[in-house]
Amino acid sequence: MTGPLLSLRNVTKSFPQGGLVDRLLGRETRFVALDDVSLEIARGDVVGIVGESGSGKSTLANLAVGLARPSSGEVLLDGEPLSALMRDHGGPWRRRIQMVFQDSSSALNPRKTIGRCLTETLALRGVPRVERGQEALALLTLVGLGPEMAPRLPHELSGGQRQRVGLARALAMQPDLLIADEPVSSLDVSLQAQVINLLSRLTRELGLTLLFISHDLALVRTLCTRIIVMRKGEIVEQGACLDVLDQPTHPYTKLLIAAVPKGIAGRRSPGQPDAMRAAAATSQTRDEFHGAA
Amino acid sequence: MSLLSIEGLRVGFRGANGGVIEAVRGVDFAIAPGEAVGIVGESGSGKSLSMLAVMRLLASPARATGGRVIFDGADLLQVGEARMRAVRGRDIAMVFQDPQSSLNPALTIGRQITDVVRAHQQVSAGQARRIAAEALERVGIRDAARRLDAYPHEFSGGMRQRALIAMAIACQPRLLIADEPTTALDVTVQAQIVDLIAELRRDLGIAVIFISHNLQLVSEIVDRVVVMYGGKVVEDGPVEAIELAPRHPYTRLLRACVPSLVGPVGPLVAIEGAPPRLGRMPAGCPFSPRCPRAVEPCASEMPEMVGEASRRVACWRPQ
Repeated sequence: MTGPLLSLRNVTKSFPQGGLVDRLLGRETRFVALDDVSLEIARGDVVGIVGESGSGKSTLANLAVGLARPSSGEVLLDGEPLSALMRDHGGPWRRRIQMVFQDSSSALNPRKTIGRCLTETLALRGVPRVERGQEALALLTLVGLGPEMAPRLPHELSGGQRQRVGLARALAMQPDLLIADEPVSSLDVSLQAQVINLLSRLTRELGLTLLFISHDLALVRTLCTRIIVMRKGEIVEQGACLDVLDQPTHPYTKLLIAAVPKGIAGRRSPGQPDAMRAAAATSQTRDEFHGAA
Repeated sequence: MSLLSIEGLRVGFRGANGGVIEAVRGVDFAIAPGEAVGIVGESGSGKSLSMLAVMRLLASPARATGGRVIFDGADLLQVGEARMRAVRGRDIAMVFQDPQSSLNPALTIGRQITDVVRAHQQVSAGQARRIAAEALERVGIRDAARRLDAYPHEFSGGMRQRALIAMAIACQPRLLIADEPTTALDVTVQAQIVDLIAELRRDLGIAVIFISHNLQLVSEIVDRVVVMYGGKVVEDGPVEAIELAPRHPYTRLLRACVPSLVGPVGPLVAIEGAPPRLGRMPAGCPFSPRCPRAVEPCASEMPEMVGEASRRVACWRPQ
């Protein structure tokens, strides 16, 4: 197949806003989480999606994995509309897109051992019972965990280890597309680096297509080849990762870059605040800033 | 002369069998009037527990099990509760990570600030309201007098954190302790809050203790950095020294594992393993199981803090 693996065509997603009374009185308004977004992701792409809360990046992930349906527009997997594929609930399309979630503790069943979590996933893929144990251990090895993890329960693992299990579970389905929604934002910095290096290695070794959702521009720069910058449900800038981050054109991208902490290099002498930040600080809320921009 | 001096502070949790599991194991450092100090470390390093102990806000089963916290010539760990309540909010104020849960959702912002003001100062309701409005204005909330009547849910996350900072500075404290004040916020809002804290310190002369897991972030505004690991201070010194010439391997790796927006792209420097768990601290240096430079005495014997008062490191093989 030569076309894009995943494409979004003019996708809009909105949610009803306001209380029940408003709705009954026909005063319903809708919050537009994603506004007429089109994009294509080719096989083997490692794409970073960045933006602040409310930018629509998680909504985009949910639509791509089939956890939400677009209000209008279409999501296509290998050229086939996801809406049509979804009629077959447990169909093979589900295997092909997998997701790793932000909060590793709520993403794993607290009462199932790590081994069971993986073997059940392998059963879903149709792996014969006799091979499941062996393959589960291979998956643990793949994500840098030892076989001693298999009999443990999620709470016995550290956050970094749990996130690796979430990754192993996603990989158990041999997906074409892996979506990781803020997979390291709840981890300590020393563990973040471990998981990012692991993702980087896996994309290279397995030829995975990865959609990496993050608010951390420096992590995206390390991991991704492409970057998509989102704001208020729209794509404001996209392109090759290094090009966009080294020479941003949209003011919002510049603002995000200016906001990244820079250590002593970022020290401002009193009375001379960073110009971009000052622009942001004069507005009171994000909305006001966005409204003015 | 120090404003606050922490000496040999220990915090422990009472275990099920009557034993005590220590989470803070002898922390020493001091802060001068008007100074800004960053406390940096990962979760479980004891940074927040240390500061909660200073404020006497530890909840059972955690309690301060040793050491002294000297403020105004008195040991805060020994003074009566009435005296402590006078110190808290008036002399030393604290701002927490999650502005949402730090505010009472059923009371207006103004009521919550005036409550603090009237607890510490003999002023009329009208005066308290004026003080609250001034404080809100001071933290950059426009139209402050009107916003006093707003409820927390009407504020964005960044504005809520500003409101909490306003509450903290309303009584003009000498020390502000900010515990990961920006972790729950978006990056652009984070930058604004950091700028605000730097500005308050400059304009009002408030000393600041800024707790964070992000060395890059605190380095933008503090004078000195205290690096904690496994319940101990492993290194401290002027921010330039910590950033440019870190001596403890942990500090060095902590700096290196955070990627930058400039320079070549390559694999990140990772610190293998995970931080030690409570109750399973190594006998020696807490970082020794993960340390690439660990040698013979590291795992068995805790190194002493050595160096001058302003620049210390606890390591058998400092760099």
